[in-house]
Amino acid sequence: MTKKLLMGNEAFAHAALEAGVAVVAGYPGTPSSELIETVAKRVQAGAAENVHVEWSTNEKAALELLAGASYAGARTLFTCKQVGLNVASDPLMSLNYVGVEGGCVIYVADDPGPISSQTEQDTRRFASFAKIPALDPASVEQGVEMLPCAFALSERYRTPVIMRPTTRVCHSSTFVDVAEKTQGAPVKGFSKDDSRWVIFPARAYRGHKEINGRLAKIADEFSGVCASETPSGLPSEDLSRFNPIENHGDAPKIGIACGGVSTAYAKEALSILEHAAKQAASAADVAGGERGEALPSYRFMQIGTPFPFPEVRVDEFLDGLDAVIVFEELDSVIEDGLVHVAGLRAARGKSAPRVLGRASGACRDAGENDADDIVERLSKFFDEALLRREGVSGDELMRKIEERANARARAREAEAPNLDIELPARPPVLCAGCPHRGSFYACKQALKKMRVRGIFSGDIGCYTLGNAKPLDAVDTCLCMGAGITMAQGLGVADPAAKQLAFVGDSTFFASGITGVANAVYNQHDITVCVLDNSTTAMTGGQPHPGTGNTLMGPKSAPLSIERVLEALGVECIEFANPHHLDESIDAVTKAVSFEGPSAVIFRAPCVNLVKPEAPVSINAETCTVCKKCITSIGCPAIGFNGEVATIDETLCTGCGLCTQVCLFGAIAPARQSA
Amino acid sequence: MKNVVLTGIGGQGTVLAAKILAQAAQARGWHVRTAETIGMAQRGGSVTSHVRMGNEGEHVASPLVGAGAADMLIAFEPGEAARMLGLLSAHGVLVTASNVKQPVTASLSKTVYVAAPVLEALERREGATVVVDESALLELVGNSKALNIVLLTVAISQRDAQGNPLLGISLDEFKEAIRVCVKPKFVDMNLAAVDAVCKELGLR
Repeated sequence: MTKKLLMGNEAFAHAALEAGVAVVAGYPGTPSSELIETVAKRVQAGAAENVHVEWSTNEKAALELLAGASYAGARTLFTCKQVGLNVASDPLMSLNYVGVEGGCVIYVADDPGPISSQTEQDTRRFASFAKIPALDPASVEQGVEMLPCAFALSERYRTPVIMRPTTRVCHSSTFVDVAEKTQGAPVKGFSKDDSRWVIFPARAYRGHKEINGRLAKIADEFSGVCASETPSGLPSEDLSRFNPIENHGDAPKIGIACGGVSTAYAKEALSILEHAAKQAASAADVAGGERGEALPSYRFMQIGTPFPFPEVRVDEFLDGLDAVIVFEELDSVIEDGLVHVAGLRAARGKSAPRVLGRASGACRDAGENDADDIVERLSKFFDEALLRREGVSGDELMRKIEERANARARAREAEAPNLDIELPARPPVLCAGCPHRGSFYACKQALKKMRVRGIFSGDIGCYTLGNAKPLDAVDTCLCMGAGITMAQGLGVADPAAKQLAFVGDSTFFASGITGVANAVYNQHDITVCVLDNSTTAMTGGQPHPGTGNTLMGPKSAPLSIERVLEALGVECIEFANPHHLDESIDAVTKAVSFEGPSAVIFRAPCVNLVKPEAPVSINAETCTVCKKCITSIGCPAIGFNGEVATIDETLCTGCGLCTQVCLFGAIAPARQSA
Repeated sequence: MKNVVLTGIGGQGTVLAAKILAQAAQARGWHVRTAETIGMAQRGGSVTSHVRMGNEGEHVASPLVGAGAADMLIAFEPGEAARMLGLLSAHGVLVTASNVKQPVTASLSKTVYVAAPVLEALERREGATVVVDESALLELVGNSKALNIVLLTVAISQRDAQGNPLLGISLDEFKEAIRVCVKPKFVDMNLAAVDAVCKELGLR
């Protein structure tokens, strides 16, 4: 074993390999992508043997492939981001009814904030909807410990198991022990059994019964109640360690329950509050004054196995408590579970605490949590407990809690730096030299010259950034592949406008092709603009079917986008290099003028794949300060110093788009200036 | 606990800088946890890396540095320093590059975005503000991509009131961490950059 500084996703890749995973597949998506990349690196380095790893065409393809591998007995690992599970939901729902043979772990990275996503959906909810057990690590270390348990649990009950970390676990790094070499576990091969592997209504009914039966047993395992027997006869293990309960102080009357990384934030917040209480006490001792209040006794619980909810364990946690506050991100899964168990307790005549959390309005109901926010919410929660203990109640209680909160808010405001300067916003933008910039600009210019109104349906990828000013060239963005099909609906409902749909090369293969088939079949007059930059750029440059590069080494023949379009019946297909403005405008004009489905394939590699050319230069004497280069294409390498436009030579890739935009010939390509 | 926040613009190399710091801290036997901005913001947006080091034997729970809790803020661009200043303790040290990078929003706006007022405001703070003339140093080093190493060298060399390294990491330990974290073919170039910056600024 060696200790390595690893990001959560990298550490989980090592943990899965050490657990004997034999087949790994998924589709890139932040914050999940580094897991498969790490597995691929290990396989390519010869450090992980007997493992197949691939970027599949999309999440549905990946999960179906893994279902097959699992039926044959292989330990399998699926990876995606939260919205990726929506794409894989069809196989996932049925797979749970059929069951698995080799351990099947569904790794889904959620993204509170969201930092790099379309939704704040909570995969713990998906787990309960699909009736699949879910593990939710609070840290990299805990995730590493959970992964082998997830494989074992999956095999014990023949169920897929979801592991759901969030961005701050996936993209947080720490030092982790890893094995030098790993081996995929041996695979016994597929045994035919149509009563098991073929889903029919009668099989599904039986499957539902099996699911309900195993979920009850798994909930017991999560609670530390030993399951008497598991369906496969494999011994159970202590999974209740992922739901630890700690008492702080004597006879606690209040509780704190946490899920995921909020567990770490809450622990940090508690240590900040304990430190502050100690400091206040020693300051009071020095001054000879009255000692401040220490923190009240409290009970702490992490719920690391949110589904099936560990009710027995939670019942122990709630016993004797008056109030509980819950810190979790995305949705109120733990809060709802606690309310449910509290209700069961009340029905049995046992004490039932008040439960505070996201749903009750006591915590943030959107975006990320953080330790500072939890410090404030815990302060309020503790104030209330201490005041109640002193016998304060009713309006006076509320007033006192509010007064103290206001005093803290004033103190925070006084401490916060106030520089009194205005800073420009710095949102993400298309890179300097990005080929998408030329594609979008050409489409806008072509429609302007044709004097027609157009609607630009965007899609998911770097090119969503084409929505920013000044390009302002993305009118819609919904989900992977939606641009092509949405353009058809917009065309039906708003036929006066020309419909342009933008799709990247990876997204085209992932979920664009069915939309094109629909356009041809139902005769929709749209123009599909394929922005082919030869990579999956937004997620860090993963290969896809159009590149022919695979993770296993041997290169396959790249799938041709134009041949796919031709085969689907698209009759007008134009080509353009997006760095060449006139050529691009011409191609767009031809395709948009064509009646029926048409396509423009804009082809130039992502700037991260090629060596930049020498930067362009601006002639300060010919520059008229019209700022057209800035207001038309918004390249981050072009700035304005108050007098003339300037080029940031560290950013400029010499793509030359700006030289074609300048009306006065003030910007020169490198070869002329050199 | 030593908390360091690195802030800059996607593509400037904050992730590697955070990794080097974490490696140096771990080599001293400290528990370390970092957090990165990965994803959309890496396309030229504001990015932040958090490095938390348990220099007194503490276990680090949360990956994120809280408000006013950073001992040092290392900024790859002065405007980004100002944006993240809320994380730096009032007495904490700010090490910042001195040249502004124009975001497209600024180029489009009528207000010109320049460094002077930002740096003046930063220098008014209670704690020390170390403004690094990075263009001169990058020219000296001969590599425009070495901003992370240049800034880290200055950061590592900062001393507390007793004259001890503020981050508790020596220049030699920093160099060893570079050897571990940087791709082999770039190690010598980066170590030479450290030496050149130290010589130029009289750091040790």
